[in-house]
Parts: sequence; C-alpha cells; structure tokens
Amino acid sequence: MRLGRSLLIKALSLLMVVIITLLLMNVILGATGFSDRMLSALVNEQVRVYRQGLLGTISNPDEITRIVAEYELTLRTAYGLDKPWIMRLPQMIWRVMTFDLGEAKTSQTFTGSTLIKDLIAERLPKSVLLITTSVGISALLGIVVGTKIATKPGSRLDRFFSNYSAFSYAIPTWWTGLLFIMIFAVFLRVLPPGGMYSAPPPTEPAARLMDLLWHAILPISTLVLALSGSWIYLTRTMVLNTAQQDFVNVARAKGLPENMVMRRYIIRVAAPPILTNVILGLAGSLGGAILTETVFGWPGMGLLYWNAIVTVDEGLIIALTFIYTLIYVIARMILEVLYVILDPRVEY
Amino acid sequence: MGFSARDALSEFWASRISKLGVALIIVLFAISAYVLASYPLNFGTQYWNKPQYWADYPKGVPPTWTQSFSSVRRPEHMILTTDVSQKKTRGNMLIEFNINFDLRADMFPQFTSFSLYKLTFYDSPPIIHLTLTKPDGSKIEDLLVEAVPFPSSGQEPPYVKYAESPLRIYLPGSPAVRNSIADYLRTEYGSTLTPLEIRNMGIEQFMFGSPDESGAFTNVVEGTYNIRVQVEIFNEEDTVESVKFVVGGQAFGFMGTDTLGRDLSVGLLFGFPVALFIGFITSTLTTIVGSVLGIMSGYIGGRTDNLIQRISDILNNLPQLPILIFLVFILGQNIWNIIMVLVVFGWSGLTILIRSMVLQAKQEQFIEASIASGASARWIMARHIFPQVAPFVFTQMIFYTPAAILAEAALSFLGLGDPSLPTWGQILERGFQTGAIFLGYWWWIIPPGLLIVVTALCFVFIAQGLEPVVNPRLRRMR
Repeated sequence: MRLGRSLLIKALSLLMVVIITLLLMNVILGATGFSDRMLSALVNEQVRVYRQGLLGTISNPDEITRIVAEYELTLRTAYGLDKPWIMRLPQMIWRVMTFDLGEAKTSQTFTGSTLIKDLIAERLPKSVLLITTSVGISALLGIVVGTKIATKPGSRLDRFFSNYSAFSYAIPTWWTGLLFIMIFAVFLRVLPPGGMYSAPPPTEPAARLMDLLWHAILPISTLVLALSGSWIYLTRTMVLNTAQQDFVNVARAKGLPENMVMRRYIIRVAAPPILTNVILGLAGSLGGAILTETVFGWPGMGLLYWNAIVTVDEGLIIALTFIYTLIYVIARMILEVLYVILDPRVEY
Repeated sequence: MGFSARDALSEFWASRISKLGVALIIVLFAISAYVLASYPLNFGTQYWNKPQYWADYPKGVPPTWTQSFSSVRRPEHMILTTDVSQKKTRGNMLIEFNINFDLRADMFPQFTSFSLYKLTFYDSPPIIHLTLTKPDGSKIEDLLVEAVPFPSSGQEPPYVKYAESPLRIYLPGSPAVRNSIADYLRTEYGSTLTPLEIRNMGIEQFMFGSPDESGAFTNVVEGTYNIRVQVEIFNEEDTVESVKFVVGGQAFGFMGTDTLGRDLSVGLLFGFPVALFIGFITSTLTTIVGSVLGIMSGYIGGRTDNLIQRISDILNNLPQLPILIFLVFILGQNIWNIIMVLVVFGWSGLTILIRSMVLQAKQEQFIEASIASGASARWIMARHIFPQVAPFVFTQMIFYTPAAILAEAALSFLGLGDPSLPTWGQILERGFQTGAIFLGYWWWIIPPGLLIVVTALCFVFIAQGLEPVVNPRLRRMR
C-alpha cells in the first residue's frame, strides 16, 4: 500500500517534470520570437498556395487581394498569431501533449509520411533497441566485473579498470565510433560501416536477424565501451564499501560460504546505491546514443535529431526534444520501480 | 583536522597521476599562451572559414612525416615566389621571371597554380605567357597565355591591376592550359588526346610525366623544372611586382590538410585556448552557482531550501544532450550561449551534494557560537561554512572542466558549434560530414579526437590526485 503510494508520488513528480519542461520550452520559443517566426512562415506558405489557387479562377486583382487578405486574417487568428505568444501557451502545450507534432521538412518514413508522429513511431523502437541492449550489457559487465575486482582491491586488474574508467570518461563516445568505423569497416573491412541492415536487406527472418546483429556490433560496442567503465568502477566502490561493514564480517564469522556472503550480504545491500547511479547515468546513455546513432547512421531518433539540425527543421527538433524528455522520464520511472523492489525501506 | 595546506600539497604531489596531470596542464597552457600571442582573435572568421585563404594549399593530403613510413615518395608542397625580373626584347618588350624547382617523387603534384601581383601599365594591357621546361629538356611552350583585360573607360594611366588581390590562375581549371597541353602532346608525341580527355585524366601527368612503353604518362620525370613567365608589354615603364607558382604537394605540414586545403595543424593549435577557455569558464561559473545555491539551501533552509531543491530536482530529471541541442539551436550558435546553457544545466548535482555537506557542518558548535554572538547569516556562510566545503568545491571544479570540454565537443560534432571559433569538435564534424573516415583521411579524425581525450584526461588525473587530499577517508585507506 505504502509502496504504491510512494510510486504514485514519484510518477506525479516526474509528470510535473515533463509539463514544466514543456512549459519552459514553449516560453523560450515564445520569448525569443521563435514561435512567431515559425508560425508566420507557416501562414505565409499557406497564403501563397491559396493565392496560386485563386489566380486561375478570379481575374480581378483587387478581388484576389481582398480574399487573400481575409484568408490570411482567419489563418492568423486560427494559429493565434493575433495574440501575444503567452496566450498561445496552453494551446501549444496541449498540442504537444496529444502528440499533434506537425510535419517534418525533409525527413520521411519508409511509407512516405512526413508526419513527425509517424516518423517518431517508426524510429523510436530502433533507438530503444540500441539503448536497452547497450545499457543491459554495460550493467551486466558492471556487476560481474565490478564485484570481481572488488574482492581484490589494489590488484593489477583493479588498477587496470580504475584507469579504464578514467579513460572512458575522457573519450568522447562519438569519436570512439569514428575510430571503430575507420579501423573495422574501412581498413580491415570486417564489419559494416553503418546502417541497420544491408541494402537490400535479407528477406528471410533468420538471415535478417543475423544481418541486424552484424550491423549492431560496432554501435553497441561503442556505447558499451563508453558506459561500462564508470559502472564497473561504481559497482566496485559500492561493493568495497559494503564489504567493510560489520555485518559482513559477522556473516563470514558464522562460516557462510564466500559466494553466499557476496550474493546475500554484499550485493543485496550494495544494489540500491548502484541502481541510483545507473539512474543518474541514464541521461549520459541517452546522449551517447544520439551521437552513436549519428556516427553509425543507425536509423533511430538520434539520427533523426541530427538530420533535423543539419536541415534546420525547427518543428522536428522541438518534437524530438520533448520525446527524449518523455523517454527519459519513463525510463527513470521504470528504474524507480526497480529501486523500490530492491530496497523496500525507501520512502518519499 | 590538523591537516595543513603543506601536507595537502605533498599528499597531492605524492601520486604519480597528479604529477602527470600537472605536467600535461602546463604544456596545454604553454601552447595556449603561444597561440593567444601569435594568432589574431578573429582567426575563425578571417582565416579558418575562408576558402580563398586556403586556395593554394593541397587538398586532403597527409602530414609530411608519414613519408618516413612509406615507400612511395610524395612530392612536397612548393610555393615559389620571385620578384627578380629581366627586361628583354624579342619582337615585343618582355618582363621575364624564371622559377626553378626540383621535383623528386613517385607521385605527380596535386595541382599547380600561378599568381601575379601588382601590374602597372601605361598603354595596351600586357599579355602573360607561361612556359614549362622539363628536366629532360622538353618544353611546353605557352602553357598558359593570359591577356590582361583592358582598363575600364574613364581610368587614366598608369593603370594598376592585381594590387589588392593577385591574378590567380588554377591551372587544372584553365581551358587555355588544356588546349596548349593538347598541342604539345600532338607535336611531341603524336597523341590525339582532346583537351577534355586531358582534363579528365589530370593535366599534372602531362606536365610532370613522360610516357612509358604503352604510351601512358605514368613516370614522374625527376629533376629541375623551369617555369618561365614572360609578360609581353607595350610600354617601357610597365612593371610587375612579383609572381608566384605553386606546385601542390601530396603531403603537407605536420598535420596534413582537409579537403578545403586548410592546414590542420593551424586549426588544431587554435583549439587549445578555446577548449581551455570553455572548460574553465564553464566549470568556474557552474561551481560558483552550485556552491552558492548549495550553501544557501543547506544553511538558510525553509522555503529557500525547498525552492532550490525543487529546481535542481527538475534539472536533474532532464536528459542533458537533447535540452542542450534544443537551447543552443533556439538561442543561436554562439560560444556564450553554449557556456550559459552548460552552466544552467550543470549546477544542480553539485548543489545537492554541497547542501548535504552544509547540513552537517551547520551542527558544529563554533557556528552556534557565531550565531549566538550575533554574526549575520551571510557572514557565517562566507567565513565558516564555505571554507569547510571549499576543498570539495575545488575538486568538483577540476572534475567539471573536462565535462564542459566534452559537452562542447559533442555539440560541435552535431553541427551546433560557434562558427567563429574553430574547435577540435568542429574539425571532427567537418571531417565526418566530408566522409573523411571513408576516404581514409585518418589525420583529419585521429589528432583532434586525441587532443580532446588528452585535455580531458589531464583534468581527470588532477581530480583523481586531489581526491585523497579532500576525502580524508580515502587518505586513511591508502
């Protein structure tokens, strides 16, 4: 009961984060005059098309000017351009919350839709696949290697991984990606340089899966290399801290087998703080994934983001920023639930 | 306590990585100081991003030192200028310049270009003739013939041309050069190649090569070449200040060039002060904001605490990179915008940590004593609380510096860098966009990335060295 309540409070506060972010985004868009410019461009384009249509049917130029002016006025009212931007805020936020995200300028789905909603629906699973796989592998590596080296602090392996974590903090993920492509795809020619499938993709499901894995090796290794360093080191530190506590000594003194001490007494206790750090590291993984997708041409939302920047597609950038915030918040929520399960003492 | 500043210093100095970090940072600062002293501040707009400035540099060639690892000798880049001229008469009056150069290589030069500076004439406009003599004595007569255009009406003699910007002719792009090479090949070798075919095959092989048994121009003719520039003049007083002939190398400088011909070593050097500047300004501002708010939050408590904690909660709950992309895109790609956004989204983590430290420090008796003796809250925060968290704040500042450098590099790589300030991230972005990784231009990709890594690492090392000094528990464990 209490568990449910604390989760509900967490969910509500995360929802507040989403709404406040949206509000701030829109305030920035409004205050910088960006939203006025965007909407005016939209209206002008529609007015131009409308005028083109009229030219064939009406010959009197004054008449056309009058009708076009009227049309423009109705459009401006419809978009709320006649009011200051602050009055449009509720409408803008509502549109985004209901995923009414408009159209992309140049990007398209495979079926040819330019609706941002469709684009995101197509790209999202691909990003999620990349991120969850890499985060999963990194977390696993973190736990396995971290607990292993924690049993022998100061050993050569321990020092190696402490240096490794310093390096993986300092090396930009995207640069690792570039190096990987250059080494494995261009010079050695053993792995594909990018994309998700070969062109044309194999039709048979098993071959298709193999093709996907083949293409995923480099991007996933890049992300794992970037993420695992800090996670291994964190796990090690947490396990080491717990291992020095009295109750662990007591457990050993009772004669419990070492791997049981490790599993039941150390890892069980160290897990919640480790998870906290995983939660805090999530923002980094998301950013790393955007860059990794860009480098490897992995057709997820990160690549879409980059395309939006390169083609100066304001609407798409705004929509993607919102979606990424949403994904982040949802991912955090999932981890919070995990946290509560791991550590029942938690109260908010 | 009982831990003096001197102890702290020797503790810090005892570890090997601190020494390495400090040594590296001294190098970084020395290079930055050199760059600041020798580069103009508008380097980005005036030079780096101006393709005209790099026109006479070879495009996309590796560094010269790669030569020592390769069996193929690449021609070096030669910029040949002369202002020594002779006046001659041969039918008409001539101003003659002679340029000699040695070519010893297994590859043809990448391109050739000719420039002429400051021409003064009184009557009819002069005509420029270029003749190339190969080491084997064969000559391409009138390789280039360029008639200087008539002065526009209303001008009075003497007419001065090419004073501000020289007359520059890129030989592979000149139709006249193609035609004269076709003539040369016909008379010399009986070849029937058309000017268009010559252009597509590359004019350099005909200028610097000789045919093998099959008639293909694959061999580089090694030895001393001569370029004769004759300016045909129609008045004795006409003058030409100087001429320049560029033989585009297949290797260049210490770091090679990109596909625009930009000398990468120059851009990479400029990246040093920019990276340090971004890192230091951002980390200083972030730690100032973070620690001031953290101390206020912890010491004052109540509503202030609540407000600050709620805001930092929200900031902590945002994915950083998407928000950075959004804000920099909307606010404009300007270095100050980038720094501001990094600061606004960077302080929250530090604030939470400082707050918890301050909550502990607040319990100390001497603080209660200060309150009792009537000290103001501001005074206590500045004089009693801050010194206790200061070492930690300092470490965090060092630790945040590489984060800022890396964040800027990531933004630059996504194409959101400040175009007026070239950074390592931007050089990498250009390389990525141009497909340098697929062209195998490793010298465009590896050095800028390595510099980012080394700079970031040097701060990580120092922060790691400082950790046992700041964190006494670690000190005991060692």
